[in-house]
Amino acid sequence: MIFVAVGTQFPFNRLIQYMDDWAISDNNKTQENVIAQISEGDYLPTNIEYERFMSGETYNQNVRQASVFVSHAGMGNIISAREQQTPIIVINRQIILGEHRNDHQADGLKWMGKLDGVYTASTQEELYQHLQHINDLKPAKNSHVGNQHLSDTIADFILHGDNKESLVKL
Amino acid sequence: MNPNSKQKVLAIASPGGHWIQLYKICQPLESQFDVVYITPGAQYSTTNKNKRILNITDASADSKLKIIPLVFQLLTIFIKERPTAIISTGAAPGAIAILLAKILPIRTIWVDSIANVAQLSRSGRMVKNIADKVITQWEPLSDGHKITYQGSIL
Repeated sequence: MIFVAVGTQFPFNRLIQYMDDWAISDNNKTQENVIAQISEGDYLPTNIEYERFMSGETYNQNVRQASVFVSHAGMGNIISAREQQTPIIVINRQIILGEHRNDHQADGLKWMGKLDGVYTASTQEELYQHLQHINDLKPAKNSHVGNQHLSDTIADFILHGDNKESLVKL
Repeated sequence: MNPNSKQKVLAIASPGGHWIQLYKICQPLESQFDVVYITPGAQYSTTNKNKRILNITDASADSKLKIIPLVFQLLTIFIKERPTAIISTGAAPGAIAILLAKILPIRTIWVDSIANVAQLSRSGRMVKNIADKVITQWEPLSDGHKITYQGSIL
């Protein structure tokens, strides 16, 4: 199963249509089932299952069970994918198409692409290319989100200020 | 020592990615400190009696007039809560909180968002010479001195 989710703040009709078209195209060689969370989009897919919004529980279950998670370029979904150990393909919204208030998701692709388990696409072609090699997509090696050393460094600083700084080395 | 005497830490972030990062960084601090979360995101609230989330006005470079009520809200919170430290991941309201805390006996910590890989965020650049501790989540952005790298949440 492929899970598609676009966040809850804005619609992302273009991504839903890409996946709706992909589901019945020859590209879908393994006849993958596609489930989408479409938010308030007015493009209603005909070839895939969809819900506008999902409970956190259903959502997490879908992320966990999916062979790949296709998402808008949102940090929340990248974290869910990592925690549920599912590879994620992110595609950015574009301000020019009215998909967001600014273009920060386009900038986001640059750093997201450096993360383990995250694949980026800025066009339909790039998205379909990733989906063509679905078995090559790997989840993040580690499911943990957060960093004990980072939090410990901060705790130490709160308690002791600068005087211990030289002892805090990665 | 009574259990309520843990030192207080205020954790401030804007909604979305900034908030998620702040929460992942500060959650491990909750056993050691009394962490109070502050956000302009009205959508964030909690039913957990042991957590507190305070809402503030949003302000950004595009809405400068809102800085005035925001400053009053933050000062009121600082006076009432008497925090030992404040920590922010951004964006503008967090930077403003750090600038304000600078004139008070409050330790200030800035953790720049992971979304800023080529240079510090705009709000990070505002506070980098002001905050007592400045942390980047990308090693190349560390100058090994004022701006340090201590790993990232991802």
